[in-house]
Amino acid sequence: MRANTNRSLHVVSTETAADPDHYPIYLLHDVVKNREAKGVAFRLKVPSLRINRGEKIALIGESGSGKSTLLDMLAFILQPSDVGAFRFRPEAGEDPLDLATCWQRGNLNMLGEMRKRHIGYVMQTGGLLPYLSVHDNINLSRSVLGLRRDGTVEHLAEMLGIADQLKKRPDALSTGERQRVAIGRALAHRPAIVIADEPTASLDPYAAQNVMSLFLGLADEFNSTVILASHAWYHIKSLGLRRLAHRTTRSKGSKLTETVVSG
Amino acid sequence: MLRNLFKILRLATRDYLHEWQMSLCFVLGLAAVLGPLLVLFGLKFGIVGAMMDQLIEDPGNQEIRPVGSGHYDQAWLESVRAQPEVAFLVPRTRSIAATIELASEHSARIVPVELIASASGDPLLPSDTPLPEGLTRVVISRRTADKLAVKPGDVLDGSLARRYRGQQERVHLDLTVAAIAPEQAFSRDGAFVSVQLLEALEDFRDGRAVPELDWRGTRADAERSYPGFRLYARSIHDVAGLRDAFADVGVDVHTRVAEIELVQRMDRNLTVIYWLIAGIGLVGVSLSLGASLWANVDRKRKQLSVLRLVGYRTRDIVWFPMVQALFTAILGWALAVSIYYATAQVINVMMAAQVPAGQQVCRLLEVHYAVALALTCGAAVIAAGLAGLRSARIEPSEGLREL
Repeated sequence: MRANTNRSLHVVSTETAADPDHYPIYLLHDVVKNREAKGVAFRLKVPSLRINRGEKIALIGESGSGKSTLLDMLAFILQPSDVGAFRFRPEAGEDPLDLATCWQRGNLNMLGEMRKRHIGYVMQTGGLLPYLSVHDNINLSRSVLGLRRDGTVEHLAEMLGIADQLKKRPDALSTGERQRVAIGRALAHRPAIVIADEPTASLDPYAAQNVMSLFLGLADEFNSTVILASHAWYHIKSLGLRRLAHRTTRSKGSKLTETVVSG
Repeated sequence: MLRNLFKILRLATRDYLHEWQMSLCFVLGLAAVLGPLLVLFGLKFGIVGAMMDQLIEDPGNQEIRPVGSGHYDQAWLESVRAQPEVAFLVPRTRSIAATIELASEHSARIVPVELIASASGDPLLPSDTPLPEGLTRVVISRRTADKLAVKPGDVLDGSLARRYRGQQERVHLDLTVAAIAPEQAFSRDGAFVSVQLLEALEDFRDGRAVPELDWRGTRADAERSYPGFRLYARSIHDVAGLRDAFADVGVDVHTRVAEIELVQRMDRNLTVIYWLIAGIGLVGVSLSLGASLWANVDRKRKQLSVLRLVGYRTRDIVWFPMVQALFTAILGWALAVSIYYATAQVINVMMAAQVPAGQQVCRLLEVHYAVALALTCGAAVIAAGLAGLRSARIEPSEGLREL
């Protein structure tokens, strides 16, 4: 099955990075996403984006600026409208995968496979399954991959300060605790990339600071690349993230909002 | 692949249990329709079944009697007997000649009896009854046996008279009681005898010679014809067909087809009414189950998105509503069977006095439970299929931002 899907993939380039720890995990060129809602058009343009393995990227902007759109494309759950190049190389020593071809061919199962293996996703709120215990919620990303129990779930719970909540259901937890569970789940299968969409937006500033540093610390420990969206720069600027440049323009006449991100 | 399917089954189960109030409502809703349907069907099946049993129990309902007298020769009767719908056929002699007077040494009475043509497989006689055979062995009715105070094995004196060439003649012959027919087989004074004996008695009365019994008279005709016959159809369902076949060849027959058709028509009509009600019920249940599952997909959009996000595939997600619908179907069916069972007990106890012992007014066979389960599961799968298709269309990105 795996051999088969690999063969169907288009190998784009054979470039190799000199430093094995800093090869590009994402390499995007001229990626565009058009969206329209209630007569207002929105366009996200990514002329060029390169994210290296192990980097911590911050995407700062007010809501509606297209942060989530970019994150969803990077998590392969949203198809770009137009792609120049979209290459993804989760592991050193492997050839980069041409995901543009996957999208063009509608090979969603391949994209799902990549997402399942290499990406953890922390949502703005919740996203926990109410019928599973905290333990099983964290373990969900491991369970779908068929990973054996190796103490990772317990370790994460310990680090996130929710070790004594493992048997509880999400509805017995506070909002902050639920976000910690969500972070645990995003990291539990030790993904190459963790994508977090305003993970602390629903928390008070003190708790937000706390959860954010826990998150980044664990991502470091798990050697995961972090891509983080936030509407406020101030409480993460001390955490050493690379901020992606982005510029939003609104044209009143054509009712078009356009955001250009590059980095 | 199978592993993920198994995990989805587990997740769907846990969700179903977690929302147990909701699940219970669906189960109760299903049982509320299915339970009464089972009771209704049990009543129909029990009542019509009891009526059918009564029809089948009385062999008179399978009987086909020619009206008046005709001329039926041996070859024609053989051709009728060869038809698969015919279970039993013996020719009859003229009824005015088919009598004899019986006497026994245990009783002072002389009993004139009717003679009934019989042979092996006579539906009026229990199957283990020794057969009336030849010119000597007869099966007498209960009433006659009581009057003559005889038991099987006893020898009777049979006598009959004729006026022959101006003179009154009376002959006697010894008849052995082979068996005594039960009361319901023949309630008057009578004896089941072989066709051979009937023919001999008719010949004597008509003035013909019976060499086997040393009765003198004129020579018998070469070709014998019979005025009538006793015929029983294979089952009550074959009676109407045989009647029509006889009508086609100009033989007017008397049957109890009207009573049989009354029950059959009632069965058909009740079945139609039942399936109308059941159809409405099943469609209603499917729609309500379908609507709730459909709404569930909306309600759980975010949860289903999460499953897609962590890597479950479209075809795994489709099973989510499917599994839950099947749970509802099976639990609802089980509850409906319990409701039926309790109700049927009450009905049967209440009606026990009105029906023959051992018969139940409300009753179902195992196969009926199985059919009910299959239909319910089928309806649930169809309902869940629509919801499943809908959940399969959920893109992970669309459900994630909802609160």
